[in-house]
Amino acid sequence: MGQMLTRRAGGRGRSAVTLLTGAALISTVAAACAPGAASDPGKIVAVGAESEYANVIAQIGGPYVAVSAVMSNPNTDPHTFEASPQVAQTVGAARLVVQNGAGYDGFMNTIESATPSSTRRVIDVQSLLGLPATIENPHLWYSPTTMPKVAQAIGKDLAALAPSHAAYFTAEVTVFDASLAPWTKAIAALKSSFSGAPVATTEPVADYVLQAAGLDDLTPWPFQADIMNGVDPSAQDVSLEQGFLTGHQVKVFVYNQQVTDSLTQSLLTLAQQEGVPVVGVYETMPTPGYDYQTWMVAEVDAVQQALAGGASTSRL
Amino acid sequence: MNQVLRALFAPGFFASDPVHAALVVGAVVALVTGAVGVFTVIRGQAFAGHALGEVGSAGGSAAFLGGANPLWGFMGVAIVAAGLIELLGLHRPRARDVATGLVLGAGLGLAALFLYLDATSSSTTGVAVTILFGSLFAVSQQMLPSIVALSAVSLVVLAVCYRMLLLSSLSSDLAAARGVPVRALGIAYLVIMAVAVSLAAETIGAILATALVVGPPATALRLTKRPGGALVVAGLIGVAAVWLGIVLAYDSYYWPPAGHGWPVSFFVVALVFLFYLAAGAVTGMTQARRSRRSERAARRTASGCAEHPGDAA
Repeated sequence: MGQMLTRRAGGRGRSAVTLLTGAALISTVAAACAPGAASDPGKIVAVGAESEYANVIAQIGGPYVAVSAVMSNPNTDPHTFEASPQVAQTVGAARLVVQNGAGYDGFMNTIESATPSSTRRVIDVQSLLGLPATIENPHLWYSPTTMPKVAQAIGKDLAALAPSHAAYFTAEVTVFDASLAPWTKAIAALKSSFSGAPVATTEPVADYVLQAAGLDDLTPWPFQADIMNGVDPSAQDVSLEQGFLTGHQVKVFVYNQQVTDSLTQSLLTLAQQEGVPVVGVYETMPTPGYDYQTWMVAEVDAVQQALAGGASTSRL
Repeated sequence: MNQVLRALFAPGFFASDPVHAALVVGAVVALVTGAVGVFTVIRGQAFAGHALGEVGSAGGSAAFLGGANPLWGFMGVAIVAAGLIELLGLHRPRARDVATGLVLGAGLGLAALFLYLDATSSSTTGVAVTILFGSLFAVSQQMLPSIVALSAVSLVVLAVCYRMLLLSSLSSDLAAARGVPVRALGIAYLVIMAVAVSLAAETIGAILATALVVGPPATALRLTKRPGGALVVAGLIGVAAVWLGIVLAYDSYYWPPAGHGWPVSFFVVALVFLFYLAAGAVTGMTQARRSRRSERAARRTASGCAEHPGDAA
């Protein structure tokens, strides 16, 4: 069984050295991550590359779609995900695919070209937003302007696939947009009381929403990018990051729960020792009990509570 | 003077916690691998040493899955592999090489599985790089006491067995004739080497560990033929390579691509190799000088003979 060292191309080296074993090994492991779409006749089979996109498809499509998510395990790092034959089968059968792009889920392009289909519609969120493929921070769903556009595109594509339910889909898009109001209000409230508050992060996961709330992320970009890409940050940046915590220069330590190593763990311990409140953030929807909107509200609430009362929310 | 220092050591070098930990771990590990490695080179077990490091990557990656420090995994698997190599390989060097190769392949296969599981079913992204190529600046401060203690134990065992080990390494037949338990000593040595290689793997990665175990000792044995002296010189060369590597890696923060330091393992391994080449050049020069001197002496003797033809008679 061949063993190969692959470096996934994409963005600015937005990749991780991943050791792959043969297909048999992959399938035993990844089966849990890729629930097969129910092959209910009459339903539109759809796939969200990440569970947050799958969730939005399900909200808009309602009873007329059968949705599955490729990456949905909140305890793994989506950056290192490798597709299994089952995922390829699911994507091959899908008529609507929503993927993030920006090199975050490059394996989706590989699968799509391996299972060509003239009727499948693919929404690539990064292209939809008109962003370059080399955009540094791929965690687009944390930006409050992203999902309304994605929802609209999903509604349009579903209507094209099932014209008889077009009115239903359009109505659900409106409902979805309205349901984002608590989140945008929470961001606005955060901005009005804590604009400019200094924070530190391990990764750029929640950077878009932190920016939207006017918070000041002191962690230098190379540090965030190195942790995201699974390489060692420089000793200078590690010292700097430690200094933010020991010097109490930041009000919150935003910690990616899905990408941990001995370094991020030692920073977490340091933050706890120093009494810097910690907010755990996720790359895919934490389960159970969350949908996209409530998840996003929960993240912003956690930051709000950390800034207002010094409360930590390590896990959602 | 200050400017020279500033050019050598980028700002913040002496105040940086990651640098402090790296300097301590690097020095301790280099001393142990230097001492243990001299015997590895004398016994011709460089391949076994390399294999133990790579096989250890299976343990290191499994340790990540269990949430333990990779050092414990490296060591557990390397010690088991050392036993297997000894068991399968018996005494004949050729059989030992085959056994080593087999254990190496099996161990790397396991590493492939565990690294895959690390990346896909747990949230440890940088694990492949950390295990295979090392993360000296990210070595956990909590591991310092364990690393120092393990190193001390290895050095003490080596000191206790020194004479017997040296004799059996130079000639196992002679050692056996003198009543040295050669087989038991061989196993004990492989275990110590497994510990040393694991420490090196924690420092510069499982794949590169062999560079520290073999490089400085081989360099030292080029410079001195006395085993006791080679032990000390190998340790010093190792410490020099690691410390200089740490300084360069720290300085490389300002090299392109700016803001990302180059991997410290690269510098350490490159320096180990350069030191080996330099030692070869030095010994080459001294040998040339010596042979020239002896040539001159021979000529002088020859001409002396010519002057006093009667002496030869």
